[in-house]
Amino acid sequence: MAEDIKADVTMDLKGLKCPLPVVKVSQQIKKMQIGQILMAETTDPGAHADFPAWAKTSGNEILRIDKDGDVSKFYIKKLK
Amino acid sequence: MDPQKRAALIGRIKTSLSRQLRYYLDLCTRCGLCYDTCHVYYGIPKKEYSPVGRAEIVRRIYKKYFRPSGWLFPFWGDSKEITETTIEELSDAAFSCTGCRRCMMYCPFAIDTPVVLSIAKAMLIEYGAAPEELTILADGAVEKGESIAEFKEGYRHVIGDLEKEVATRINASSPEGLIPLEKKGAEILFVGLAGAHSIVNPAIIFNKAKVQWTLSWFEAVNFGAFLGDPIKTQRIAQRIINEAIELGVKEVVIVECGTAYRIPKYLLGPLPFKVSSIIEVIHRYIQNGNIKIKEKAIQEAVTYHDPCQLGRNGGIYEQPREILQLLCTDYREMSPNRAYNWCCGGGGGLVALDNEQFRIQSGKAKRDQITATGARIVVSACENCIFQLETIKTGYGLDIEVKSLTELVAEHLV
Repeated sequence: MAEDIKADVTMDLKGLKCPLPVVKVSQQIKKMQIGQILMAETTDPGAHADFPAWAKTSGNEILRIDKDGDVSKFYIKKLK
Repeated sequence: MDPQKRAALIGRIKTSLSRQLRYYLDLCTRCGLCYDTCHVYYGIPKKEYSPVGRAEIVRRIYKKYFRPSGWLFPFWGDSKEITETTIEELSDAAFSCTGCRRCMMYCPFAIDTPVVLSIAKAMLIEYGAAPEELTILADGAVEKGESIAEFKEGYRHVIGDLEKEVATRINASSPEGLIPLEKKGAEILFVGLAGAHSIVNPAIIFNKAKVQWTLSWFEAVNFGAFLGDPIKTQRIAQRIINEAIELGVKEVVIVECGTAYRIPKYLLGPLPFKVSSIIEVIHRYIQNGNIKIKEKAIQEAVTYHDPCQLGRNGGIYEQPREILQLLCTDYREMSPNRAYNWCCGGGGGLVALDNEQFRIQSGKAKRDQITATGARIVVSACENCIFQLETIKTGYGLDIEVKSLTELVAEHLV
């Protein structure tokens, strides 16, 4: 079983239409402290490519992606 | 403002000044006919939200730095120096315009205000003042193109889940292969969006039509275009062009997304494959008998909102209407429609910005059009429009249902 990750902030992005999930995550992470973890739940299949690509360009890290049915939980650590 | 920054901005304008742009900038007589054609001005009647009001900021800067009157008599007339305030004005002007080009339909000189505002967007990028949301989205899309190999596994996994949904909806014995990825020799490369609905509904239609198709790794929308960055626009579009060439497809079919359709269809020059909207393809399948829909299955009053980039700027008017007239017993037109249809206020990347109240206000014309039809179901064929129509519905408390045309077809297949 994967180790539990404690998120500092959680976001429910389920059902949000393109392109809002990435925009909302980006806006939220800006408000957080370096080292804090954001957990974002989304139902967008595109998020599995869009979130990692955004993390790469913005210099943040996706620690883990948990999938439960059509809901995916992205654990994102703010690195800068 | 730092003189070096100002010089860089002037240089940016200079490189953008095509003959077409000079024509637009020199020719406006400020007749004011465009005022009442803009959906934003209809909802917020301030000069700065009129087409001429927006373009006037660019026009005055042009006069200041590129016309003799601006050099010789800067104190006289209406030239404008580039300052921090000007940058803010340019941002308001550029990102309150959806690029719908309705104003151009009424302008006696056919001045294309969004093209004038492309200078404003270029200056904002040069100054580092372009909207952060659009920059993030465009950069992410470029990165996805460069590192797609890293993201394939995760994406393939979620597509597997969507295949199960497709299998249930079409009563297929197995979900395997219902949403093919990287299928060489497929006839069609379908380019969807991030949302599951944008993939599942077309997949149902393609499977029912029994065509050889494959799903793109990429999303159709081009945030580089919304940002006004031609280099990023090209790089984002090139991802799909390369994929289509590599797979050897004959046709690239674009999801319900107006800008995503217009860019490869009209703005990238000749391509070694055909570019179609999913709406054209659905229409073709119905006409050719590849798919059958339950005729007259919808009895409630239905109206259609022409997405600006698909209709006025893309030329697709009749296909969605013919599909809806087959599906519905009570189809009603908005007035005006087709090339003169009012923009809903969701285009130009505006739905990605933090501006809901502005979009509700600028959606007033569309609200009035919808209400006048008395329709209960409002159908459109662009993700941005559908997003904005939902905002208008909530913002004005309308008792309507907003539907995507592809979704409606997928729900009513025989």
